[in-house]
Parts: sequence; C-alpha cells; structure tokens
Amino acid sequence: MKEKQRVLITGFGIVSPIGNGAGENLAGLRAGRDGVSPVTAFDVSETRCKTAGQVNDEPLKAVFPANRRTKRLHRSSRMVAASLAEAMSMAGSPIPELVVFSTSVGAMSNGEEFYRAVLKSRSRRLIAQWVANYMPQKPILDALELLDLRLPMQVISNACSSGTNSIGHAFNLIRDGLNSCVICGGYDPLSELVFVGFDSLQASTPEKIRPFDLHRSGLVLGEGSAVLILESEESVQKRKATAYAEISGYGVSTDTYHLTQPNPSGIGPRLSMERALQSAGSDSVDYVNAHGTATLYNDATEGIAISQLLPGIPVSSTKSMMGHALGAAGAIEAVFCVLALRDRFLPPNIHFREPDPTWKFEVVANQSCPASIRTVLSNSFGFGGTNASLLFGAI
Amino acid sequence: MSLFIQGVGAVSPLGPNATTTWAQLLAGNEAPRKTLPNGMNGREYYYVPVPEKFIAEAGRQPRLRRSGALSLMGAAAAYDALADAGFQPDAQLGARCAVIYAICSGGVNYTRRFYHELITQGVNAASPMLFPETVYNAPASHLAALLKLDGESYTLVGDCAVGLSALHFAAQLLVNQPQLEVCVVVGTEEADWILSDAFNSWRMVTRHSDFEVFGKPQGTIFGEGAAAIVLGRTNGIPVARSGPGLSFFSRQDALAAARQVIEPMIQGEVPDCVICSANGTFVDQIEERVLRALLPTTLVYSYKPALGEALGASALFQTVFAALALRHQTIPGTRHGGHRLPCLTRASRTMKLHRALVTVIGFNQQVNSLLLGNS
Repeated sequence: MKEKQRVLITGFGIVSPIGNGAGENLAGLRAGRDGVSPVTAFDVSETRCKTAGQVNDEPLKAVFPANRRTKRLHRSSRMVAASLAEAMSMAGSPIPELVVFSTSVGAMSNGEEFYRAVLKSRSRRLIAQWVANYMPQKPILDALELLDLRLPMQVISNACSSGTNSIGHAFNLIRDGLNSCVICGGYDPLSELVFVGFDSLQASTPEKIRPFDLHRSGLVLGEGSAVLILESEESVQKRKATAYAEISGYGVSTDTYHLTQPNPSGIGPRLSMERALQSAGSDSVDYVNAHGTATLYNDATEGIAISQLLPGIPVSSTKSMMGHALGAAGAIEAVFCVLALRDRFLPPNIHFREPDPTWKFEVVANQSCPASIRTVLSNSFGFGGTNASLLFGAI
Repeated sequence: MSLFIQGVGAVSPLGPNATTTWAQLLAGNEAPRKTLPNGMNGREYYYVPVPEKFIAEAGRQPRLRRSGALSLMGAAAAYDALADAGFQPDAQLGARCAVIYAICSGGVNYTRRFYHELITQGVNAASPMLFPETVYNAPASHLAALLKLDGESYTLVGDCAVGLSALHFAAQLLVNQPQLEVCVVVGTEEADWILSDAFNSWRMVTRHSDFEVFGKPQGTIFGEGAAAIVLGRTNGIPVARSGPGLSFFSRQDALAAARQVIEPMIQGEVPDCVICSANGTFVDQIEERVLRALLPTTLVYSYKPALGEALGASALFQTVFAALALRHQTIPGTRHGGHRLPCLTRASRTMKLHRALVTVIGFNQQVNSLLLGNS
C-alpha cells in the first residue's frame, strides 16, 4: 500500500433551502437565513408539522438547457446535476475515478406517484418512467450523464449519516492511495411518505426547529444536494489546482441500542468523534457542526458526548436554518464546514432561546460570528444507530 | 492485498441455507411458484417465495420481532455464512467485523403498507411501527445489533449489480481498516405485488409461471431470498479481482460498459465457468453478446429460472454459487435455458474448476463483474 496521502477538497457545489450555489449558501449562513417555509409539494393539512426546508426549483431549471431529455428529469436529478456541475467547475479539470454518493429517501416521490396511479387506476402512460426513475441511484446517473461522466459509483444509504459516510469513505480511499480523485456527496428530496413518517413518530415539530435549546420540540425536514471533489495532494500539485480545505479524519460507530433511538449514554456519538480524531492523529477542534436535529433524544446524546469530549467548544446546528436533509445532510454540512474554514466564521444556530445547563459547550446563538478557526468537526447520526464524524482542516 | 471468501450463506426458495439450496440446484430442481394478486385490481403475478419456516428461527430473535421478511432473511443468510466460516456470532466477533448490505427495493412490504394507510385512511392512520422498517438500512442495523457491532455498518443501494458493489466496498474496507478481520456482506430481497406490477409496467416481468434465459426476452419472475458472504484476509476461495463496476446510460451503451468491466477482470485468462445474471429480460441480450465476444467457449450458468430474480440479493446469490462451484468442482444445469447461448449449462456436471467469473448487467444502468479462484 502507498503511504498515507493528504486529502484535499478542490471543488464543491451545493443546492439547499438557503440557496442555490456556494455563494448564496455562504450569504445565507452569514445572515442566519431561515430557509424553512410552509410545505407546498403535498397536502400537510392533517400533519402536526407543516413546514420544511425547501429548495427553490426555478433556478435549477436554467442550469441545463431545456430539451426532451432534461424536461423529464426528476427534481432530485436537477439538484444533483446542479451541485455536481458547480463542484466540477470549481475544481477546474479534475480526473475523477469514482463516485461515492449517498441518499436516504432516493426518488421516493416517483414511487408515491406510481402508487397513487395504481390505486386510482389512472392512466399507465407515465408509469414506466416513474418506475425507472424510482431507483435511488437514478438521479446520480442522470447528473453524470448530463455532465458526460461515465464513472463507477457506490451509493451509500445509512439513513441520516449517509452523506458523512460517503465523504468519509472517499477520504479513506484517497488517503490510503486506492484512488487519487473521487466525487462524493449526497442528495435527498422532500417526500410525502418520509414527511408523514417523521410526523407519525412525533419526531417533527409544528414549531420552529431549535437545536440544543432547552425547549426544543423536534426536527423539521429539509432537502438538497451537495458534492465535494476530493483529491490527493499529489493530484492537486500535478494539475496545479486550488484546494479550499482538507479532510484529516473520519470516524464511525454503530449504536445498536434501538432502531430509532440512540443509547442515552451518548456512547455512539462519542465513539464516532473519538475515532475521527484518532484517524486524524489530532485532538484539536475549533468548532463542531453538530448533527443537532432538535429532537429530545438526539440533542441529549450528542450534547453529552460533545460536553465530555470537547468541553467549551463552539457548537451550532445549521439544520436550524434549513431543516434536516437526511441522506444529504452530512454532505451539505460538509460544504458549510468548508465555507466556515475558508471564510473564517462560525455559522449560527438560529431560533435559539435558552441553553440546557447540563451541557458544557457554547452554542453559536442566532448570529454568525467571525472566527479564526483551523479545524472543524462535523457530525451525522442516523436511524439504525449509524454514527459518523469528519474532521476538516483549513489550508 | 489478498482477500478470500471464508464462508457463504443463503436463504432461498429452495432451502434455508446455502448447502441445501446448492444440492437442490445440482439436482435440477426449481422452486415452486405462487401467485401474488395486485391488491387493487386482482391482477396476478407469479413469484418465487421463501417458505416462512425457513426464517422462523431468525424471527425468534427479540430484535427482529417487528421486522419484515427482508431483515429476517438477511440475518438468517448472514448466520449461515458465519457458521460456514467457523465464526460464532458473539461480542468478540462484533469488535472485529463490519456489516455491508446490498439493497435494491428495500422494505417494500412495509413501505407500501405505510403509504397505503397514509393515502387511504389519512396521516393519522399511518403507523409509526411500520415507518422505521421502510428505511434502507434497517436490515443492516438489525444484523449489527445481533452481532453486537460497534464499528462499520454500511448499506449500499443499487440495482441487480449492487451485491458486487457491496463486495468491492467490503474489500476496500479490509484494505483501509487493519482492525477489521472480516466483513459480512449480505444481499436481501422480499417480494411484493407492487414490485411485480411496477416492473410489469416496464415490460420486465412476465405473466407466465416460467421464463427462459437466453431465449426471446419476455420478462422475468421475481424471487425472494438472501445471500451472504464472509470476506476476510485468509483461508477460503480467493477473490482474484473485484471492482466498483460501471454505469451505462442507454441499452445501446450497455454492451460497451459490460466489455469495459469484464475485460479487465479476465485479463486474457479464460475462466472455467461464468455465473451470469440472465433473467429473461433485455439483460440476456447484452450478456449474450459480451460473453460470445469475450468468452465464446466458457460454460455459463444462470440460477434465476430456478429461484427467480432476487434483485438486491441476486449478485450475491451468483457469488455464493460461484464459490460453491469452485469448492465442490461442480456446476448445475440451467433450467429453461434458451438456445441463443450454446455454452449454457444444460445439466449438472463435475469438472475441474479453477476460476469462476460472475457477471451482472443490472436493470437500472449498472454493470459489474467479479473473478473468483486462483488468477
């Protein structure tokens, strides 16, 4: 095996409820923009929660010229394609060898359309299209085709940690010399089935999403897509590319306490953070971009783990601004971490009112602030007890 | 790094484990079909079910008491593979193993039921008991809990080729993670009328009780089941080459993609047999053309007419049967084999087998391949 390679980020692209593209997202993070709004994609009159972080579709339609092919694309495909195009453009002319992507929901809304059509014995004209596009890998394939990239692909679906897992796996492949350039990221669109699912579990809130607040009442769902181009330092030097940040560590753990509830001791999050730091050979962290879903259970366990491991650290959950994008969350938050490192600021945790006295860290409350941060830890935890953490470093 | 298949496991319509399934295939048997009626309009489709008694033992695990067939079959196949590799599922194993799942349709029974409740009875009737099991990684989570895992657990999604992608992912983990001793790679698939109805709309599923491979493509029949591989660094059937596969963007494009994947696998060395993915659909034509071009005289076997097309589990079923063929120096005959591929096995035969190639052309734009044996 080759000696360990440094892993650099040479491009990134993002579509999120707080903006399309890195520029809009940076402005949104700095301003503490609230990207959560009333749901318009389906009927929410009977659900407790009625809001979500929603991507503005209109600008996405302009990213690729309208033709027979692009007209039929699912909105997930548009999100992935726009973020991929932005990342590839920023990276110059990378030569990717592999795609490691993530999703949790996939193109579920195609399945929903199909089922409604079957139930109501509607015309079957569009059914084949819904079925073919239902597969979770399809939006990624569509994006690759639009950009004329024929590449091998691995699609991870580890629930809400998927995005961080995809970047972490790509990081490991490059660090260990198995690949020199990998496209990684994640996508997830809003789906009625998943929206109602979280509502039925009473995990979502009819109020504002308030991560780490003493009176937090649950999550709000979001959506989006984010892509990062990871390259070995050798590859970056060879093509004289610009690196915006580096990834230095990745850790995972599995918490087998319950399918949907974390072990209250916080052992799952703690192990994944510890393992990310061990992987980096460092214990220096300047800011934590928390998983912070604002559910009672998640924030309690993550709060304990951060308090034990990194007392006094500034922490925010950017889900307060855009909701929880599930399989895309880790990838979107990775881009937020890169922006925070590159532009030297701490993204805010909006809607924050009252700290929980049991936790020993500082919530970046309601406003972003300038900070000379050098290292950022990003957490993602999911259903099934999948926990993942990434350590990012400034260049 | 050298990697080896240390153990294989399966739960199939023909047996509760890999050994029984293999014996049945060698005997030329095919699993009984049942019909699945469309819950709305009564339209019926044939499928190849796993008898409930085959997964009854797994269902007694407290963690799995609310789980669907998908998780039960996956856990049973994993236990079969671990036993074949000589492992006891205990906390010691959990500290040195990773779990990788290959999923295509996922928890389709629970997903359909949940959504049906939602749109027919309103959101307040949608059961919170069903929703968690609709998540793609629920089966992996259950197995991780049974094995007392605290480390790496991944679920990969894709089409029929996802099993080989998961196997390659496991190989990457074993290279990256020196603390890992083995990876348990599992593919699992459950049947539901909604799947058959959907794929029938796509003209991929036949309304007949049988289907022919390498004949006129008239559609497939779905089967249930799970297959599992224990992959480690020593002892067992050598994995000569694996890869992440490739995507294709159109059926015209698929042949080039298949060649691009398979040629580097064989590297000019002719394997002794091919365990292929032919399933009675357009896949057969692509696979036939690539095998005729690259391996015109190599024996080819398809298990699918006997067990049905098990989507997320199918590539790992192929891998299990390739490993068993090498282990027992025997290859089964293909049931309902058409005449477009002369080298298709017609009856079981014993012969010298050093290398077995697995080829997969997926329904949804993915191809992959794997070479087992001494390269």
